[in-house]
Amino acid sequence: MRSEGNDSQKGNGRIRKLLILLVAIVLFAYATEVTQVDLREPLEPKRQENLISLLRELARPDLLSYANETLSTNISVRMPCPEEVKASQVQNEGRTVLLIPNCATTTQDVLSLQGEGFPPNASGLVRWYPAESETTRRLAEFKADANGTFRVDFTMPDIRETADPQRIELQELTARHITGLSDTTLLALDKIVETVLMALMASTIGTILAVPISFMAARNLMTDIKLPLAAIMGSILLLPVGGWLGWWGTQQLVALAALISGSAFVGLGAAVVLAALAVVSVRVNPALSPAETKVAPVAITGLWLGTAVLSLLTLATLAQVGLAAGAWLQAHLGVFAFVGNFIFVLSDLLTLLLPALVGLVGILVGMSLGGRYGQEAVIRLPERAARLLTLGVTMGGTAVFVIGVCLSLFWVNLLGIREYVPETVGGQLQILILPALVVGGLAAAVSLLRPPKYPYPIGIATYTFTRSVLNITRSIEPLMMGFVFVVWVGLGPFAGILALTLHSVADLGKLFSEQVENIDDGPREAVNATGANAVQSVVYAVVPQVTPHYIAYIFYRWDINVRMSTIIGFVGGGGIGFVLQRYLNQLQYSRASVLVIAIAVVVTILDNVSSRIRTRIT
Amino acid sequence: MLKIQNLSKVYEDGTRALTDVSFTVPEGEFVAVIGLSGSGKSTLLRCINRLIEPSSGDIWWDDVHLSHVTGEELRRARRRIGMIFQHFNLVDRSTVLTNVLSGRLGYVNPIASILGRFPEEDVQRAYASLQRVGIRDKAQNRADELSGGQRQRVGIARALMQEPGLVLADEPVASLDPALAHSIMRHLQQINREDGITVLCSLHFLDLVQQYSTRAIALNQGKLVFDGAPHEIDDAKFVEIYGREAERIG
Repeated sequence: MRSEGNDSQKGNGRIRKLLILLVAIVLFAYATEVTQVDLREPLEPKRQENLISLLRELARPDLLSYANETLSTNISVRMPCPEEVKASQVQNEGRTVLLIPNCATTTQDVLSLQGEGFPPNASGLVRWYPAESETTRRLAEFKADANGTFRVDFTMPDIRETADPQRIELQELTARHITGLSDTTLLALDKIVETVLMALMASTIGTILAVPISFMAARNLMTDIKLPLAAIMGSILLLPVGGWLGWWGTQQLVALAALISGSAFVGLGAAVVLAALAVVSVRVNPALSPAETKVAPVAITGLWLGTAVLSLLTLATLAQVGLAAGAWLQAHLGVFAFVGNFIFVLSDLLTLLLPALVGLVGILVGMSLGGRYGQEAVIRLPERAARLLTLGVTMGGTAVFVIGVCLSLFWVNLLGIREYVPETVGGQLQILILPALVVGGLAAAVSLLRPPKYPYPIGIATYTFTRSVLNITRSIEPLMMGFVFVVWVGLGPFAGILALTLHSVADLGKLFSEQVENIDDGPREAVNATGANAVQSVVYAVVPQVTPHYIAYIFYRWDINVRMSTIIGFVGGGGIGFVLQRYLNQLQYSRASVLVIAIAVVVTILDNVSSRIRTRIT
Repeated sequence: MLKIQNLSKVYEDGTRALTDVSFTVPEGEFVAVIGLSGSGKSTLLRCINRLIEPSSGDIWWDDVHLSHVTGEELRRARRRIGMIFQHFNLVDRSTVLTNVLSGRLGYVNPIASILGRFPEEDVQRAYASLQRVGIRDKAQNRADELSGGQRQRVGIARALMQEPGLVLADEPVASLDPALAHSIMRHLQQINREDGITVLCSLHFLDLVQQYSTRAIALNQGKLVFDGAPHEIDDAKFVEIYGREAERIG
């Protein structure tokens, strides 16, 4: 029985192998058909000729610039031919040149140029100075043999009929000096630096954004986070409050700073005083003394707020001073004007971004406060009060969520309903409030299904959401992102930086979070067991374990960004790809070749450096 | 006094790890927790400091309702419960000193600690703890440069930093040479006797149980099957705890 079973198993195995083979054959047959594999076309002489001329151009990169010393020999040509066709002969420094015939009537007439007495292997160009024209036309190249003789046949590209003879010049190359790098090489150097810096900016900003995201996208850190509904809804409720307070408040501070620094020197003085005050307020803050202290939380919160306001005002004032100083430096520094420009751009960015950044911080603070107080309240309040609180907060939180989603829908006009709603955000809010409250009420009713302390798995929900967003963003071709950003911010490297940054955030976020998921959970367990809070646990148990991997990935990503930025240049995202595409379109292959070499050199170097650093760290 | 009443734990996959376990540990005792692998020893210890959430039952430690505290209260309770692990659970890439100082995280100011600042007295305390377990000279070494026995001593020093009233030791010597095991057990005995710290320690070898503990409790498939003095474990009890196929060694 057993042996029969084995036989039938063996038979099954053979049939399966046969089937796999069959499927493979069909697959490759179809693939050959689909991918249009054709070996005949590439063998055609015309194609081969094209290929060879392309390769020859590519193999002669326009790296250096030359100065040529030439010896000119002039001979005259007549158009049209007179009745009696003749030949011309001239002599120049021992060289004899013969033109038979010395005239042309049509562009089909073949003229023959013969030389004698040239230095062995001498070479050069034959040029024609058409009558009434400022440019010359190239007729042929010549190359003498070992005896110093040559013969080239050519036709006139154009017939200009004149009474006087026209000039044909033999430019014999007698010496050639390298005078330096060609314009193409200089441009390539300029652009490759731009490319590397684009990649650097994108990698840096990408890393800064990806690190916090990676913790949210790590399953092992998020599974344990479960919160009661009141905490979740509390954070949603305080999200817009915190965001708006941060944004609006900072705008007032920026305006105040502009007022203070009407004169740059007054502004500088004010900035110094403000900074000193900020430092003092940090120094006296008991929350920063290492040991736990028992000071009223209200006092500490007040001090923190004061410090924040002082520091923000300092920054805003410094930015105003920077604007003035940068403009002045740019006008007075000459060659180093870019330093002034840098200060100006940085200050400008700071002024523009400060409200948005503080708004973001406000959102985080609001969410954490809402979450913490929601949780504490549910734990401390008696059952009935907790239920009531959960009801109210759920209604409010859901309403805020609904309004947020609707406002963004209006903004992107995904449903094409923008023309039916009021134009201002205020007006949109007015029509949204009632329906949002109705939805909130429904959500509150549904929330009654669970007890107020029921731990909702918000951690795993955040994880799933973050991961999905990362995966979708990662799968979008950076070329497409580059295109979108070119439409938004215009042609140039800035669009490229934004596209690469977005892709880097998604890519690094995913890679980083996988590293977090791969850590040894033991230390985290141990640190949690000491009574550390969530942030302490991440800093002491997770960060030391992932740092080397993070650094390795940052270099790896820089390397990738350099390569990608050449591609993004093709859609106008700046960098070397932009120039490469232009040369390819203009069929200037020997110039394109220089750019390709520059890319290859930089990528090789970066590849080497990054792999060295990676092996050293891990 | 640690009081455990009707403690049960059912994992999400349906495994019953603990069933209706009740016992009381007066302060200052050295309790050995014995039983086969998978009998629920680790789950029991982790339920006490809530690394694992109990499904039902109550845990009281003095007047703290350990099984039901949350948030800040849980952190405050945890910081007085030290834990020692079979695989040491040190952060390999950090220094020994940092590992030991991390035992202080529940006490220090969170913001300062995130910036890596600890009060001077805590740093001194860390050196003193390392001195006590005999590896003060290794303070600046990376944790992964140490041998197994030294690593477990770092684990003990970290637990000592918590000024614990209770230490949970989960198979503290199972990954060590038998010769080193005694040295680690003596350290635990020392903190139990000199500092009056209650120790709950899960162990595999009966000779260690009888040499170091003042009391033993035994689990079999999540149920408490023995609670008494170590020398009371005779052959009949042994079969009850470990099953028929087990053989007594050591």
